[in-house]
Amino acid sequence: MKKNTVTIVVVVAAVAIALLWGIGVNNKLVTADENVQQAWAQVENVYKRRMDLVPQLVATVQGAADYERSVLTEVTNARAGVEQTSVDPSTLSEEQVKAYQQAQDRLSKAVANTIKVTVERYPELTATQGFRDLQTQLEGTENRITVERGRFNEAVQGYNTMLRRFPASIVAGICGFEKKGYFTAPAEAAEPVKVEFDF
Amino acid sequence: MKRYRAHILSLLAAGLICLAAVPARAQWVPERTDRMVNDYSGVLESTPREALERGLRGFSDSTSNQVVVIITPTLYGDDESVTAQRIGQAWGVGQKEFDNGVVILIKSKTAEENWGAVAIATGYGVEGVLPDVFCKHIIDDEMIPALSDGDYERAIKQALDVILPVMAGEYSYAQYRADERRKGLIALGVLVAIMVLIVVCVVRYAKKHPDQFRGGGGGTYLGGSPRGGFGGWGGGSFGGSSWGGFGGGSFGGGGASGRF
Repeated sequence: MKKNTVTIVVVVAAVAIALLWGIGVNNKLVTADENVQQAWAQVENVYKRRMDLVPQLVATVQGAADYERSVLTEVTNARAGVEQTSVDPSTLSEEQVKAYQQAQDRLSKAVANTIKVTVERYPELTATQGFRDLQTQLEGTENRITVERGRFNEAVQGYNTMLRRFPASIVAGICGFEKKGYFTAPAEAAEPVKVEFDF
Repeated sequence: MKRYRAHILSLLAAGLICLAAVPARAQWVPERTDRMVNDYSGVLESTPREALERGLRGFSDSTSNQVVVIITPTLYGDDESVTAQRIGQAWGVGQKEFDNGVVILIKSKTAEENWGAVAIATGYGVEGVLPDVFCKHIIDDEMIPALSDGDYERAIKQALDVILPVMAGEYSYAQYRADERRKGLIALGVLVAIMVLIVVCVVRYAKKHPDQFRGGGGGTYLGGSPRGGFGGWGGGSFGGSSWGGFGGGSFGGGGASGRF
């Protein structure tokens, strides 16, 4: 009789402690998840900024007579490609982030190429204030993208590490937290949109 | 127990692989100081350097905006705009709640490298008053000409004469552009006037002495800035007591850069 009571008390206490610990871990994961989503919002912000600049770039360079059509087509297509990818900020699975990055990196390349072609072959266009201002804005946007991607990766790293670390991984499994995707840095994405002028 | 150990080990291994997959770049910046003007290249004289320091501290004390100037012979293995942003973030230039910091980074020319670079990094909170295009104009028009002459002090002063009033809300990009236009118009007007004068003189001289006419001389134009400078260089008191160091501002990659 007495032995039974002790057993019950011990079991109840153990369950209670486990539950409390589980809730604690869960809350930490929720916070980390929230951080990741916030960082993601910033990533989307800066990418959006570039999306808004692309039509301006197209409009500016289109003004030049006989402007290389294929370059413009690639930019326009790449931009359309970005518009088609959608990412659910609450999941941010590896596949989603990867697909998003691929689309954005394609646009990065297309934009960089447009600027390169313009500077190389259309000096009169390059000399205009409008083009140079646009170039500055695009450069600044690329810098912002690099910064926000880096911060997003840091947030994901914190979250993923927490998620996979035993024994928190048990709670994560029960509560349905899933691993999130990173941005990887392929050689072409790391190349900044940068053209030097000689002063 | 043994089975658990294997489990833990595999998890650890997975974690390590996971960490290794994230590109961990060595991101080092100069060690944080409590100075606003940091001349690692030693190109500024001590008097103007201290005057700038006082001015910037006074500015920080009165407006909470922080502007840090760094002159360095190296870019710490990165591009100037990235390094400027990283320094701003690492040092926490600006106040945490406003992110109102600006970093002006100048890579000086050295004996080995005959090129210099300059970058202005803006904190999140000043991206609005100092848009990238504005920073680019400041670099191209106020800094690069002076830097090309090796005059670092003038480059910094001229940049600050624009940046500080803008940050303090006394001056805006729109006004700067209007001034630039006006400056252009004044220059054009003066040029036209001088040319007219020369033509008139030459014509009169030629009329008087048609036999010895050879040619006219040239005029020089010394343009004065229509913009008043930001007053109070060195005027701020340097007590040191109110100086609380950098406030932990955040930088998101805003700003511009250029080379000289």
